[in-house]
Amino acid sequence: MSWAYITTVLIMTGINLLAVIGLSVLTGFTGLFSFGHAGFMAIGAYTSAILTVWLGVPYYLALLIAGLAAGLISLVIGRLTLKLKGDYFIIATLGFGESIRLLFNWFDPIGGSRGFRIPSEIHYTSLSDVIIINLIALILIANLINSRHGRNFKAIREEEMASQVIGINIFRYKMLSFFISAVLVGIAGGMLAHLTHFLIPRNFDMTKSTFLTIMVILGGLGSLSGSVIGTVVLTFIPEFLRNFNEWRYVIFGFLVVLVMVLRPKGLMGGYEISDLLRWVKRRLVRRRGEKNESA
Amino acid sequence: MEKFIQFLINGIAIGSIYALMTVGYSLVYSIMNFSNFAHGGVIMLGSYFGFFAITILKAPFWLAALIAMTGTTLLAVVIERLAYDPLRRRQAPSLYYIISAMGISIFLENIVLATLGADFRNYPPLFQTSGFYIGGISIGKLDVLILVVGTISLFGLMWLIEKTKIGLAIRATSFNLRAANLMGVNTEFVIFVVFGLGGLLAGLAGVMYGLRYTVWPQMGLITNKAFVAAVFGGLGSLPGAIVGAISLGIIEAMATGYISSNLRDLIAFVLLVTILVVRPSGIMGKATEDKA
Amino acid sequence: MSLLELRDVTKQFGGLVAVGDVSLTVEQGSIHGLIGPNGAGKTTLFNLITGIYGLSGGTILFEREPIDGLAPFRIAQKGITRTFQNIRLFKDLSVYDNVLTACHMNTKYSVVEALFRLPARNQGEKKLKQETEILLDIMNLTDRRDVSAGNLPYGFQRRLEIARAVALKPTLLLLDEPAAGMNPDETFELLEMIKQVKREFGLTVLIIEHHMDLIMNLCDRIMVLNFGRVLAEGSPIEIQNDPAVVQAYLGEGGNHDARY
Repeated sequence: MSWAYITTVLIMTGINLLAVIGLSVLTGFTGLFSFGHAGFMAIGAYTSAILTVWLGVPYYLALLIAGLAAGLISLVIGRLTLKLKGDYFIIATLGFGESIRLLFNWFDPIGGSRGFRIPSEIHYTSLSDVIIINLIALILIANLINSRHGRNFKAIREEEMASQVIGINIFRYKMLSFFISAVLVGIAGGMLAHLTHFLIPRNFDMTKSTFLTIMVILGGLGSLSGSVIGTVVLTFIPEFLRNFNEWRYVIFGFLVVLVMVLRPKGLMGGYEISDLLRWVKRRLVRRRGEKNESA
Repeated sequence: MEKFIQFLINGIAIGSIYALMTVGYSLVYSIMNFSNFAHGGVIMLGSYFGFFAITILKAPFWLAALIAMTGTTLLAVVIERLAYDPLRRRQAPSLYYIISAMGISIFLENIVLATLGADFRNYPPLFQTSGFYIGGISIGKLDVLILVVGTISLFGLMWLIEKTKIGLAIRATSFNLRAANLMGVNTEFVIFVVFGLGGLLAGLAGVMYGLRYTVWPQMGLITNKAFVAAVFGGLGSLPGAIVGAISLGIIEAMATGYISSNLRDLIAFVLLVTILVVRPSGIMGKATEDKA
Repeated sequence: MSLLELRDVTKQFGGLVAVGDVSLTVEQGSIHGLIGPNGAGKTTLFNLITGIYGLSGGTILFEREPIDGLAPFRIAQKGITRTFQNIRLFKDLSVYDNVLTACHMNTKYSVVEALFRLPARNQGEKKLKQETEILLDIMNLTDRRDVSAGNLPYGFQRRLEIARAVALKPTLLLLDEPAAGMNPDETFELLEMIKQVKREFGLTVLIIEHHMDLIMNLCDRIMVLNFGRVLAEGSPIEIQNDPAVVQAYLGEGGNHDARY
């Protein structure tokens, strides 16, 4: 196994991680499920590719614009769908996600179903790009979650009606959550485009959306560290089981059902690593206290 | 005009396959209030069962359909036992069901991919494409078969729901599961029957879809069409599901005929999104108001 | 001064009149009781006041301005909040976070300030945390601050829901059967707590309750609803002696209800 290969796997893991952090804001913290975020990933991927290839925009600026483009579209879609309840919302996101993919498939100037190639002289997404962007995203999102705005997300996830009567503008916060998730997923799409240097609409279908959602779920809804662990476990480790190839997805599907049946709150069960550390510390302090008393 | 009628008939034929898929999905939704995303996987396997029955066992159509339907009925019931029943015992929220269903769908799709490969397989041509000519309109024998079998099955289902004792139990349970349970309806059995019925029709739909088009591991994705149809008619409404599915078939046939086959799926999804935005309860769905 | 005024408020579901032509004036600083048999339309009235249902007729004035037609969160922001008959807490969040979340309107820092932890965010959070701790203290919940709301004993859940409502610093608090399922001791404790909260925060309270001891003890005025219509309105003494009320509650035979 070459270093180049391991690096590529790590970059891929990082790209997934960014998308999953975005989706965890929507799914883990606000309690909304989307089966259409691959559509935002496609928007980010194509926007960034067009910017770098046709207009010579620098990589990082292209990523930023790609994220904002996905965010902008999410505002339009959110405006139309976020008032829908339960399964209706999920099916609506599916409809929009597929529509976006089919539009790219049909639109010939950017390759249509044949795909869009990024020339090799254009920047390739590197490991350091992935690390920098993920760190920034993690810090910002952690900050947001630990604020009155982040708590309002959780309140909506827990109880919509109670949230309303304590003065939370549910629709506005759902829009915010949808927007943030779309921006991060859009940026991840841009990074993906510049890793593979080849874009094809087929790669942004509902299955892709489903996998992103599953990583959030397996990590644990409402836990950022859980999302990180879930993503690493589900992207990094399977890469080393390449011999099994299709079988790993069979195991994947099996695992999802198993988690729902046995441990529906996912690996981290809504707790953060920091919570665990705090718990361990408290334990140790208490233990020490008991020792001192007995001495 | 002849062209129009031609497209109309094609549309109704494909629409009745969609209807067979949609009713299974819609029945489960009406009882358990969640989108059974595993339904597509069941249909796909039904299509494979039929394919192998015809190619390996050299079975005629009716036997292949019977084999496929037996297989999918069993499959649907087993899925319910393994993936949903434990959730119901725990009274888990409906999102967990959807995720579990997603897991099943991934599992089924990839187990086929891993064992049979990603190839598209064509059913042997059991029915000649040439058929009847009425005026300038040709109707393929296969389409006639689909129309006849589809209509009989759907009427059979409607009869079962409207006129029999188990149908009454299903209707009561879909109205209110807990109340039905208290009133002495064996809701466990109702759920079992509903998944069985869904599986039965899924097998039939799979075979007919395979005959008309082709079989491949990702064909479960066409059940997205079933969701579109169900939403179009109103989630959880059985007549709505049938009307929605046939309308979708007609719209797709018209789009393919008059515009372009590339845009067929796009039009279906744009339609879905439009309906959700304009009238989310569908043409025949029930609207609900939250209670404090 | 009247704080809340309902004028001919009507709500129909299909053809069914759930609330019909109800008029009510709640004075600033008072505790107003709302009683009546099950299905009389009491909770529906709360849903109308808090904007969860739209009105079919009539109007609702709060601080002399009409509030009907506003979204529930706007009405909350104007200073009306409530508890629910079937408790609606943020179950997976801790007691502390339930109250802290509800304090959100008492500071104004923006999303950008939150993302980058700017000074306004830090000051705002500090203020909210202090307020939360004070409130938990008043409501005797400090011992259980880290418990998930869903794991609290029933009585404490009711208490937490009141704490969460008070965290908004409302002007008008609507309590929907706060003593339901409580034993006499707990009910007495709750009574004292409502009085204390009302005093400390200068609240006006509108309360639905079936415990007659509690209602008669607590309220300045009482309105009786029956089949969606006002049966009587007056001071506790007047209500206890109103023949129509006695009849509706006790039936023709005069079968005595222990709670009454």
